[in-house]
Amino acid sequence: MRTRYVLIGNSAASLAAVDGIRKRDKDGEITIINREEGAAYSRVALPYYVAGEMTLNDLLIRQKPDYARAGVNLVEKENVIAVDAAGKRVELESGRRIEFDKLLIATGSETIIPSIQGLDQVPHHYLWTLDDAIRMKQAAEKARTAVVIGGGFIGMLVAEALRKLKIKLTIVEMAPILLPQLLDEGAGQLFLQAVRDEGVTVKTGALVSALARQNGGVQVTLSNGETFAVDMVAVATGVRPHVRCVHGSGLTVNKGVVVNEYLATTHADIYAAGDVAEAKDFLSDDRSIYAIWPTAIDQGRVAGANMAGAKQVYPGSLGMNVVELFNVTLAQLGRFREGPGDDVKMLSRGEDGFYRKVVLDKDGTMVGAVYVGDENGVAEMGVIHSAIKRRERWSGFQGGRPPKFTYASVMYRVPRY
Amino acid sequence: MKQIVVHQEKCTACRECELACSFSHEGTFLPALSRIRVADFYEEQFYQPMVCVHCADAPCAAVCPTVAIQRQLDGQVKVIDERCIGCKMCLLACPFGVMGFSPERGVAQNCDLCDGTPQCVQFCTTGALEYADVVAVEALAKQKAAAALGLPRA
Repeated sequence: MRTRYVLIGNSAASLAAVDGIRKRDKDGEITIINREEGAAYSRVALPYYVAGEMTLNDLLIRQKPDYARAGVNLVEKENVIAVDAAGKRVELESGRRIEFDKLLIATGSETIIPSIQGLDQVPHHYLWTLDDAIRMKQAAEKARTAVVIGGGFIGMLVAEALRKLKIKLTIVEMAPILLPQLLDEGAGQLFLQAVRDEGVTVKTGALVSALARQNGGVQVTLSNGETFAVDMVAVATGVRPHVRCVHGSGLTVNKGVVVNEYLATTHADIYAAGDVAEAKDFLSDDRSIYAIWPTAIDQGRVAGANMAGAKQVYPGSLGMNVVELFNVTLAQLGRFREGPGDDVKMLSRGEDGFYRKVVLDKDGTMVGAVYVGDENGVAEMGVIHSAIKRRERWSGFQGGRPPKFTYASVMYRVPRY
Repeated sequence: MKQIVVHQEKCTACRECELACSFSHEGTFLPALSRIRVADFYEEQFYQPMVCVHCADAPCAAVCPTVAIQRQLDGQVKVIDERCIGCKMCLLACPFGVMGFSPERGVAQNCDLCDGTPQCVQFCTTGALEYADVVAVEALAKQKAAAALGLPRA
């Protein structure tokens, strides 16, 4: 009998899982349940759509015929409201039930709605789904000024998109630096200056305490009492695993759906991958959630393979991010803020606008890095990335006489100009 | 597939390949824009040209959030400029550090094999670079290794 695979979610993790399944099982029935409408789009590209650099069609990473070609049945605009682990079926909002032999939970993240007084009384925008992006773009076309609440990764991408539309910006961030998930203090200060140099007002160490309608716009009140008026409000105070559909299923859920080294949940036939999965961390004994595209791809592939009968061990999630914002390129890998016992190699300290730091653990093994500079330096971070994944020591980069050249040392010595 | 094969022992780090690549793709002699780079250990006299090897399971393509990196029928791993948003995740994913970025076009760039006549190979005077079928090159390398061990030819 053909195996019935049901995948909840239609983004990176699910699509990678389809590849993983199809490498081993050409005949199984695959059903993807999508709470949105249409073929998969790239969430990463949404800010580029808002900025007017991409069309809706450009955002698509699959076309409808791609699903048919991969033998995937796409169910659209349906929310899974319950997972019946024992009965091996999922229940949809419409009342429909779908039975499975193997289930993947890849529901991703949902936006966190902050508790700000008056938020529900004023028009405001998030940027997580395609619908969010369409609405944000419409609002941005009419706005001249905007506040971005939250200076994290999404907040800064929103800010960059709005800046490209010549909107005058104020960014409010709780932490003392922007992008605290990506940058350490030194890199953060460098980046903060670059953003301010572009004429953007940045309020760090600040919270928005209230929002209110005012003369067709919105009045923003900060926790220190300061007020200002804007045309548009964008909220980017983070995302969290979209775990609603697994409540009551009996599966173990912590922050996300807890999975083992094979990415199986506490039920042997149910797997989880991507933002929703709380999986093994690469650098520690803990489980982690990074909510990034590469992790979703890695986990989706492994989960898909294992659903189709393989016994692949997931090596663990490693945080990685890169982004170009306000004409500065930023990149981060693994544990970029040194902990107790860690050693630090400062390759550049901010002179000429470059900041390059590598973090080593007490054995001299590379565990993280942070970079601020131009585009070219990211390739070097790629080499460090692969070295971290192979648990190489920093001393490996120092090379030696032939035949002592290591893979790492050779790649590291490539001139980056 | 045919791709650029590096014979490291013949490289003198003359960097003609970098200039040829930059000129043929960008119209200017700027090593910083070259898609092939020579790692140099001058004191040890060890030079290693680094260029995209069009990995079988290419991490750059796997990680690309817009499906802008696609394998072509000839095996080449190609950046589709129109689909690339310039996010640089592929640069962060490439273990060889050979995915580059064009600041001018705002897209990632790797070796595109110059439509079958790689200019770096054309201008490599020492024979350190060769445009060859990788399967054949691998077989030759294995034969050499076997011969060095005194094993009979298969």
